[in-house]
Amino acid sequence: MTPSLRLERRIIIIAIAFVLVLFGLAALAINMFHVGLPTCLTDIKPFQKGELITHSPDHYEVHYVARMWEFDPEEVVVPAGSTVDVYLSTTDVTHGVILLGTNLNLMAVPGVVNYARVKFDRPRDYQLLCHEYCGTGHERMAAKLRVVDPATFKPNEPKAPVQQPTDPGYRLLEAKDCLTCHSIDGSESIGPTLKGIYGRKTKLANGATIVADDVYLRESIANPSAKVVNGFDDVMPKPELTEQEINALVEYLENLK
Amino acid sequence: MELLNQRKIEIEPGLKRMILIELVFPTALLVLGIYHGMMQVLYRAGHIHTRHVLGLEYYQGLTLHGVVNAIVFTTFFAVAFGYALIRFYLGPVNMKVAWLSFALMIIGTLLAAAAILSGTSSVLYTFYPPLRAHPAFYIGLTLVVVGSWIAFFNWFPVYFSWKREHRGEKVPLAVVGIFAGFIIWVIATIPVAIEIIFQLIPWSLGWVPTVNVPLARMLFWFFGHPLVYFWLLPTYVMYYTMLPKLAGGKLFSDFAGRFTFLWLVLYSAPVGIHHQFTEPGISSTWKFVHAFFTMLVAVPSFATAFVMAASMELGARANGGRGLLGWWKKLPYVDTNRWLFGYFFCGLFIFIFGGVTGIINASYNLDTVIHNTSWLPAHFHQTVAGPVFLSYIGMTLFLVAKLTGKEIKLPRWNVWVPYIWTVGIMIFSTGLFIGGAGGEPRRTNMGLTYTNPQSPLYHADWQIARHLGVLGGTIMTLAALIFFVVFFATIFGRPTRSGSLELIVSEPYHDEHVPAVQSFTPWLVGTALLLVIAYAPPIAQTLRSNFPGAPPYTPDRPLPITAGPNP
Repeated sequence: MTPSLRLERRIIIIAIAFVLVLFGLAALAINMFHVGLPTCLTDIKPFQKGELITHSPDHYEVHYVARMWEFDPEEVVVPAGSTVDVYLSTTDVTHGVILLGTNLNLMAVPGVVNYARVKFDRPRDYQLLCHEYCGTGHERMAAKLRVVDPATFKPNEPKAPVQQPTDPGYRLLEAKDCLTCHSIDGSESIGPTLKGIYGRKTKLANGATIVADDVYLRESIANPSAKVVNGFDDVMPKPELTEQEINALVEYLENLK
Repeated sequence: MELLNQRKIEIEPGLKRMILIELVFPTALLVLGIYHGMMQVLYRAGHIHTRHVLGLEYYQGLTLHGVVNAIVFTTFFAVAFGYALIRFYLGPVNMKVAWLSFALMIIGTLLAAAAILSGTSSVLYTFYPPLRAHPAFYIGLTLVVVGSWIAFFNWFPVYFSWKREHRGEKVPLAVVGIFAGFIIWVIATIPVAIEIIFQLIPWSLGWVPTVNVPLARMLFWFFGHPLVYFWLLPTYVMYYTMLPKLAGGKLFSDFAGRFTFLWLVLYSAPVGIHHQFTEPGISSTWKFVHAFFTMLVAVPSFATAFVMAASMELGARANGGRGLLGWWKKLPYVDTNRWLFGYFFCGLFIFIFGGVTGIINASYNLDTVIHNTSWLPAHFHQTVAGPVFLSYIGMTLFLVAKLTGKEIKLPRWNVWVPYIWTVGIMIFSTGLFIGGAGGEPRRTNMGLTYTNPQSPLYHADWQIARHLGVLGGTIMTLAALIFFVVFFATIFGRPTRSGSLELIVSEPYHDEHVPAVQSFTPWLVGTALLLVIAYAPPIAQTLRSNFPGAPPYTPDRPLPITAGPNP
């Protein structure tokens, strides 16, 4: 055997031993630090609604829905010392979730649910953000998870059922998915809030200032790119609406103060 | 580089022209690719707070950056370099078939580029569904891949006839290397071709309403990992067959080269799931198996590092190097007559860090810390943008100068390119490693929010990382600029002699005969077995799970697109 072959054999054996030691350490860490990787879940289907479920004062379950371009629920509060089972689903494209400061790092893939368990020992505010490119709102897709002192923690009261308006205008907003980007309670979202929009003085992307009257609303529904509001992106799709439906919508917006 | 007594051969003008175009065309595109790399560090650091600059949108530019640098430039180089190696070591090839493969690759590139530049295909170079690109994007990439297969298959006749005429002789090391690289490429591109042809193209044309996303992702990453060895093999061919001679010595072990090439064929593909560690729908058992195989694919790089150091040491000592460490001084770092040495040496240096961080990423649960953070681009810039990029641009300049008979212009600037690039990339990567370990996301236009002081999402704690990224990125761009000046000045210069195909050929130090590495066959059988073990069960599991399909989305709309390519 040439001297080079002898040395090569030694190097290869050392290299194999080295990588196997590293692999062994990673395997050990699964049990030592209780950090594994997500596996295939067979008992839960993708869900559409985000929620926080209380099992006991120190055991919670969060169902996170990732969608373009927000997380639902947007803010979760749990007491320090609790264990949280996190389930993650997406209703549209692939998203990624990282809970900064923890080992929670999960992909949200359409058609499948992801899961990980996190234990929160101390009070702290955490940020959750999307780290898989999911479109033009990707860089603002973030949420909050607050771990608070158990003494100050108030468990979520069962929410009083929200008064669902029977107004056809509201039902249209729901049905045509307008609420994906426009809120009706004044909160900031992908599109301008519809609360108080009727008659609102609005600055446009082109610098002009107009009053959002009947004509403006009808024009923007028919042709969303015509007069984009300043500070928002030109991403609104054209909704398919009949004349009657547009009338109902505009009337609803007129009264949404 | 005349002192090395390289062998020169005259080649057919048609082949010469084809190789030249296949080298120059992607290098020209690289200008655009590098431009957007520079833009990306500026956007991310918060020096730019908009979506577009000069008509290119951030994610559109990011798609261009990935497709041009990591798919077009690399594939064209591998094919052109492959033709040069085959012609040099084995003999002439069928030119009609060669021009067919050339045409497919050029047309495919133009189609994909047009799709990206039109703004309808900002899906990034991984094109994950249900984000949908224009059908021309998928078709264009398919043509580039098919063209590259045809180039490879075109080398078979001359390979087999050479073996017949040289019975009992060892196949030249460079040929083993480039064949290994293209075998890996065929293994890699079959699953992604299935994903594109049977899933994405019909779906993007509106012929089928939904796509099975978990299956598409598994097929993509079955491709995505061996892809990097397709990139690495030409670099290793250069390290094994050229670096020792440039260092003034011989190759310490020819066996190590053959072993490396064949072991990489074996382990390059049954590891793809390590890119999917944090995904749902894949059992952690299979993630564990792929992690195990990933550790094994790292082994030949240790052997290569050893052999390269040994070969350089022998060369340095032959040139007067003395002492335990003092011999390092006797290497041609900035010798304009051996300028390729710097390109190879710097690549090796950067690869130390690229390799180590790769092992970190592969360490199963460690991935939860860094997945999809900026740690990942830091890692892969120290691999594909380190040894691969430097050796590719170095060899491109070398071959173009030799084939056209032109002198390399600004040789004293040229020798410094790899060193400036190295300083830049080490600073850039340090910044991105620090940021990534702190959770900074990749593939994100941070300038709009996370690095925008006006935004409620502003992260003041990501300061150091982004400033290092800008500093490093700027230095890298400077190196690239110098290279482009040298390259284009050389091309537009006047020939000083007739062009010929010349390659540096290192001799091995010892004549080694290890039967186990003299034939591809047993390794190919082993590869097929490993692929079945590693991928048949997870793919079967994915198919059995019957995941509901997803309709197409374009990046700018939160609602699915219901009609075909033009919503």
